[in-house]
Order: sequence, then structure tokens, then C-alpha cells
Amino acid sequence: MKKVLAVLLAMAMVFALAACGGTTEPAAPSDDAETYKVGMVCIGDDNAAYDRNFYMAADAAKEALAAKGINIEWTYTYNHPEGDPVAVDCEELADAGCIAVFLNSYGQEPAMLTVAADYPDTVFVGMTNEGSKSDDLDNTVNTFPSIYEGRYLAGVAAGCKLQEMIDNGEITEAEAVIGYVGAYTYAEVLSGYTAFFLGAKSICPAATMLVEFIGSWGDPTLEAATAQDLIDRGAVIVSQHSDSTTPATTAQSNGVYHVGYNIGMSDVAPEASIISSRIDWTNYMVYVIETIVGGGKVDADYMGHGLADGDVKLTELNTAIAAEGTQEAIDAAAAKIKSGELNVFDTSTFTVNGAELTSSLVDMDCDFAPDEGFDAVFDGVYHESYFKSAPAFAERIDGITLVNESY
Amino acid sequence: MNEKTPFIRIAKREDASKKRIWTVRIAAFAVAILLGMIIFVIAGANPIKAYGVMITSSLGKKSGIKQVVKNAIPLLGTGLALAPCFRMRYWNIGAEGQITMGAMAATYFALNWYSKMPSAVLLLVMGIASLVFGGLWSAIPAIFKSRWGTNETLFTLMMNYIAIGIVAWLQGGPWEGKPGSQIIPMFDKKAVLPKLFGVHCGWVIVLLLVAFMFVYMNYTKHGYEIAVLGESENTARYAGMNILKVTVRTAALSGAICGLVGFMTASGVNQTLQSGVAGGVGFTAITVCWLAQLNPFAMVAISFLLAVLSKGASGLQTTLSIPASISDIITGIILLCMLGCEFFINYRLIFRDKQAKNGKEAA
Repeated sequence: MKKVLAVLLAMAMVFALAACGGTTEPAAPSDDAETYKVGMVCIGDDNAAYDRNFYMAADAAKEALAAKGINIEWTYTYNHPEGDPVAVDCEELADAGCIAVFLNSYGQEPAMLTVAADYPDTVFVGMTNEGSKSDDLDNTVNTFPSIYEGRYLAGVAAGCKLQEMIDNGEITEAEAVIGYVGAYTYAEVLSGYTAFFLGAKSICPAATMLVEFIGSWGDPTLEAATAQDLIDRGAVIVSQHSDSTTPATTAQSNGVYHVGYNIGMSDVAPEASIISSRIDWTNYMVYVIETIVGGGKVDADYMGHGLADGDVKLTELNTAIAAEGTQEAIDAAAAKIKSGELNVFDTSTFTVNGAELTSSLVDMDCDFAPDEGFDAVFDGVYHESYFKSAPAFAERIDGITLVNESY
Repeated sequence: MNEKTPFIRIAKREDASKKRIWTVRIAAFAVAILLGMIIFVIAGANPIKAYGVMITSSLGKKSGIKQVVKNAIPLLGTGLALAPCFRMRYWNIGAEGQITMGAMAATYFALNWYSKMPSAVLLLVMGIASLVFGGLWSAIPAIFKSRWGTNETLFTLMMNYIAIGIVAWLQGGPWEGKPGSQIIPMFDKKAVLPKLFGVHCGWVIVLLLVAFMFVYMNYTKHGYEIAVLGESENTARYAGMNILKVTVRTAALSGAICGLVGFMTASGVNQTLQSGVAGGVGFTAITVCWLAQLNPFAMVAISFLLAVLSKGASGLQTTLSIPASISDIITGIILLCMLGCEFFINYRLIFRDKQAKNGKEAA
């Protein structure tokens, strides 16, 4: 019994020390009042290409802000896609004194909205969301850079490769099939793969595309299995709207090509991955933080930022495997997009059910029904991200076959 | 003593005093804290600082305490729900699914009836619906067990996956909001449980349940039947109890309370429904139940402790960038030590040489 008591006493002392250590801790950061705390709630962690793209931007934003005399310190929370854990993260970060809490996935918005009202001094930033305009909170904002422009250019790179393979006699025109691993049958995904396909078709008119949905934003195993299935169905180039790099590695092990998303994937699949399109969140993060620090009001929906502003980018072209003239083709298309000469969703370049698209209404108030008076089709173009920054194009165009529609 | 005596023998302890019981428990907690320190050191953190952060982030400020209470509500509610089942030696591992079904039933009314009635009535309807659905979901395996002798552990466990699957289907199918988003729209404000002192009023409900369950288990005929059936089915049968009725009734009550927990989580916390609404609470509550040895009042303390640990874990992540998985390991160690120490309360170890010495002395 004495031994037990002795051990107990020792523990009690250690524990008391622990408690004391804790109370003195939070004083440290307040010495440096110049450093602003900023938080980010991440759907995954740095194993996911998707999240790594955000960390890259966060680091770049920190540097860019430091150059402007604004010092920030990032705090991340990981692996919370939805539900109460996201709300707890938001509370935790707001409590820690963050001036802004960035959330990096669409599904996190409902949880964030359950607590945002309790922290009026913190701005909650829903990256890739669209509800901030229609919720009644002042401290929620969102944006979605015009990624369809980047997707189109990535498609151009894929089209160049397909055309080269046809011209070299490696495949027939009928075999020019693109396989696309999609997350959900959600406007963001539909808009992305359609833009990609139109980019490919602008170079290789014979191209067709198969899309297979996985029902998850990121699942390395499922993404690999789906890429394999698409290759088995005849795809000679694989692309993806999913968070990991396994479609690239699967393409490589099957000896086919790949175009990525979020980050450059030619380091993991040097013989397959040609190029990736990505959103560069740096500008937006800098804008939000600078505006808050300067006492201004952040736009509820930060619209119209894409290729021309550097918010949408392509990663470095893998010249070892890209078709000859790819860079030139991309540069030419990019210049035309920036000048407004080329519209990604030009209705003369595609058909829906065999007919030209003449009208397509956009949902503006988040009631999930298209709204009268918001017709994105005019002047012969579907104007993507025109009424709101989030992608709205959800038409199913001819030439793209959906392998499954269960998600 | 001869050579055949094993080095260590285990013997049942009959004489455990209260003082000894608590000494062992506190010592086990202390050992857990010490082991946790080793984990923190391995993870590259200052363990004293880390424990400090866990305490200050959960109990050192108002918002922390609010979150602790919010986390404790479903744990306590589900622990209470499981207690009568475990007393009856009916292993209900299906709380997770019963929570999910309760939340689903409540969500149906939240989404479709919010414009038809005032908030108080709507919440009442949602609550009743969750009780009914949770209860029915739990009654199914109970009926199978008492009629055909199926294994309730496996049956209730499998029912979890079905319930979660149903909600996942609703999420992507009939109840989906934005096409392709896999997200059910958020509830109207009328369908959200009001807050009392900063936390949704579910905490009042679970505290009432504590009193109810204490009385139910200890001072009612039902409670007596449950206890007898748990001790021996034959005794219960001999005493003229209807085994089927008692089993199904108890399981249904348990499921109904789980369903109510689901309602409180969906309405009070998430304000929407998702397949992960139970979030592992159904399993953690089993630990709550056993740590408290089925005592409702002890469950209050245990669920509070677990809630402090989980809040402390998220505090660690944001303050010291310690991954949440490290905190999970530490929580696991604490639970293991707490549950494991019951062994040292009920049994004692007899070492061979000590035994020999004692033998000589006796001689």
C-alpha cells in the first residue's frame, strides 16, 4: 500500500506541474501583437494532392503578406470532411484568436454555419462554396476561381497527345478515348470535365470521353481502381477530378498517359502524367487577410478571378512525354482566353442531345432549383461563373459517356 | 511449495475495501498519464505543456466548457440507453445504428413539416419520431434473439451498417440538396433545438434521463425483471416472467433513448443529417457504460471525462500542432488503464517466491 501511495504522490506532483505549465502557456503569443493568426480546416492532410495545393498557397500567401508588412501564422486542422468535427475546429480556431478561418471543402459549409454566428469577429471563408451570399451572416465569405479555364488548357495538352498518337498511327481515331475519374455528378465536376473535353476536342476533333464517378472527393484505392476500369474500357489518356495521385500512377503502370489536377503529378508518374491544372489560392488568401487587417469588408462572393489573374494555373509541362507543340498550343489558347477571344463554353463547339444549347438557368439562392432570369446562355456562349463564382455548368454534352451515374 | 506452482497465480479477491478500490483506480489513472507522457515525448511535444493545453483548452474557458458539455451529451445519453441492456446481459452493440435511425426519423419531419407547425410542436414530433424509430430498430434483433436464439451481438452490429447505409443513400438520393453534393440541406431554424446557457438543451434531457434510469433500474418492477433475467434466464422463467416481453421491451427502450440522442445530435449540433451522425458515440458509450459499472450517476462523470479528453485533443491540434491521432492514442491508453485496473480490484496476483516465503512463515 505504501508503494502505491508513493507512486501516486509522484504522479500528483507531475500532474500539478503539468497544470501549472499550462496556465503560463497562452501568454507567449500576445507579446507579438503584429502576428495575426489564421486558421484552415482541411478535408484531408498532406497525403492528399488536394490539400497539398492549399498548403502551398498558404505558405505563398504568408510570404506575400510578409512583404506587405503583415505577419501571419497558420494553424491547420486535418481530416475533417463534414459534421460536428468541422464545427469544433471552427470554434477552436476562432477561440484561438484567428482573424479568418479558411475551410477547404464544399461539404464543410453546413457545420461551419452552425457556429459562425457565435464568432462575429472571425471571418469564415468557404473555399469552393457558394452559400455566403444567401446566408444571413456578415462574417461568411466564399469564392471559386474559374478553374474551367485551366481545365480547358489541360484538355488542350491531352488533345495534342491524342492527335499525335493518331498521326503516328499508334491508335485509330475511334480509339482516341479519354477516361475521366470523377468525384460526384456535381456541377463543379461536370463543368470541369466538360471544359477539359472541349479543350481536348479543340485539338483532336475525334476525341471521345468516358466518365466514371467514385462517390468520394478522394479515395486513393477507389481512384486507382476506377482509373484501371477506364483503361480497361479503352482509355488511352486518364484525367481526374479526385484528390489523390493514384490515377496518375495507375496510368503509368498501364503504359497510358495522364493529365492531373491540384498539383503536378509528373514526379510520381514521370512516364504518364503530362500536366496538371490547379487553382492557386494565394491571391485570394492574400486578398481576404489584407482586407480584414485593413479593416475593410471581404466580398461575400469573390467573382471573376481565373487564368488572367493567376488564380488558375497549369503546372510545368512534362516535355519528355508531351506531344510536340503542346506548350505552343496551350500558350495560344491561354492568350485567347485572357483576351476574351476564346470562350470555353462556346455553344457552337458542342451539342446537348444533338442540338445547340440555347438556355441554361442557374440556381442563385441555393434552393437547388434553377432560377428564372439567370440564364447563363447568351451571345452564343454559356457564361460559366457569371452570376456566381461557383461552377454552374451541369449540362451533359454529346461525346461524353457516363459509365455510371450512381453518385 | 513444490516446483509445479506457476510463477504467477491469479486469485479472486473477496475483501476489496472501498479505500483500496479507489487507490487502485487513481493509481491506474496516474499510470495512464505517465504512459501518455511517453507518447507525447515520442511525438516530439513537451508532455507537461501538452497536458496543460488539454486542461486549459477544455476547462480553462467558457467556450471550452460549452464544447465539453456538447460532446458529453450523446455519450451520456447513449451510455444510459445501454445500461438496462447490459444489466440484462443483452449485448446491444447497435447504438450507433439506433442513433442514426432516430436522427433519420427526426430529419424527415425537420425537412418536410417545418412549415406546418410551430417550433415547439415540431421539435416534439421530431423527438417522438426518433424514439419510435430508434426503438423499432432495436426491437428487431431482440425479437429474433428471444424467438429464434440469434446472436444479438452480431445482429445489432450488422444493423448499424444497414442504418448508416440507408442514411448515406438518402444523402445522395431522395433527400439530397444540391444535385451531386451528397449533402442534405440544413434544417430550418424551427427544427433546431434551442440553446440553454450556450449549449443545446439536450443536456437537460440527458440529466433527466440520468434520474429516470436510476429509478427505472433500481426501484421498478421492470428494473427488477431486467436484473433477474440478466442473472439467470431460468430463474426468470421459473419466476413466471415473460422472457420475450422483457427482452424486447428493454431493447426497445434502449433503442428509443439512442434514437433520441440521434435527434439531439442532428437537430442541436449538426442541424442537418449525415451518415456519420453517430460518429462512433455508439461504441464509445459502451466504454462509458462499463467504466461506470452501469451506474447512471457515475456515467455523468465518465462521459464528462471523455468529453474533456476529446476537447483537449482538438486543443492540442490547434495549439501545439499535435496530430489528433496522438490524442486518440492517449485517450485509448487512459481508457485501457481505467478498464484494466478493475482486474486488480477483483483479483490478486500471487508470486511463487512470495508464496514460498509466506508458507515458511506460516510453518
